[in-house]
Amino acid sequence: MSGSPVKAALQDSLPIVTAYFPIAVTFGVLSVAGGIAWWMTILISVCVYAGGAQFMLVGLVLSNSSPLSTVITVLLVNLRHFLYGTTLGPSFRQWTERHKWIAAFGLTDEVFAVSSTRLREKEPTPVYQFAFVFACYASWVSGTVAGAGIGQAVPTSVSQALGFALPALFLALLFLGERTLAHLIAALSGALLAIAATLLHAGSTGIVIGALVGATLGLLVREYSGKLRQKVP
Amino acid sequence: MPPVLFETLLIGAGTYLIRAGSLSLGSRASWPEWARKWLSFVTPAVLGALLGPMLLLNGDHWPSITHNPTLLAALPTAAVAWISRHLLLTVVVGVVCFALIVHI
Repeated sequence: MSGSPVKAALQDSLPIVTAYFPIAVTFGVLSVAGGIAWWMTILISVCVYAGGAQFMLVGLVLSNSSPLSTVITVLLVNLRHFLYGTTLGPSFRQWTERHKWIAAFGLTDEVFAVSSTRLREKEPTPVYQFAFVFACYASWVSGTVAGAGIGQAVPTSVSQALGFALPALFLALLFLGERTLAHLIAALSGALLAIAATLLHAGSTGIVIGALVGATLGLLVREYSGKLRQKVP
Repeated sequence: MPPVLFETLLIGAGTYLIRAGSLSLGSRASWPEWARKWLSFVTPAVLGALLGPMLLLNGDHWPSITHNPTLLAALPTAAVAWISRHLLLTVVVGVVCFALIVHI
């Protein structure tokens, strides 16, 4: 490969960088239009750095959810990152512990999706991975700054339409991942349980229950259909 | 401390620990197969649980489909997500569809 690792990293990050900026602008606009201070909005992007979770956080804050259930719900949404770390882990065996902890900060959904295909071809060097990860982070934070800056000037009708960015983002993430029958059943049973919990006024505990039961049902369907297939001669 | 600040700091720290802890552990030990399989189903289940009430309920009652712009806009959005698997395109199409439906 020709060129420096930094250049290669920036090239590889380009699709994520271009997607992140406008989504982060949307986040900034929505958060400020909802009444969260501009500096707090930027701090959310700086500290949390996870698209779906941040929209979720703002939604829960604006609907006055209790702080504890807000924190638990959002962290549960982010629990999927555990899978990313454990999946990518083997490619980082040669790295120092410190380098691993720096690179891990930027392990978002999209960074994982791009990294997991790339890392199978070639083990990452710290320079490449840092440049890749922090280019995406820079795009996310600067998009939020831009959005928070124009937030109050944006008309209500526009910020109302931008509110649909959240379900759209969740739909995109859902169909971006694996799409087997078992995964769709996990999503569907999670949805039904969360709806039932909302109708029973159980609030956001429904998301926690839906996630845990849905994931277990998905796994059972996968195992069961696997066994059925083995029995067919 | 305002609750948003408290929530942001806790969520930020928790998310970072999940990311870094799993990468650090994942580079040393391999996880049992069933645990990794189960984790791969947590993502769709959480997303489904978030989307269900968001798309089908308005507060705690069922609006009829013609009075539910979120659900109507979700149909073309889901189709675009399924076909394109493109994050930004899906969000743009979704927001435009939603704006059109609300204003018609």
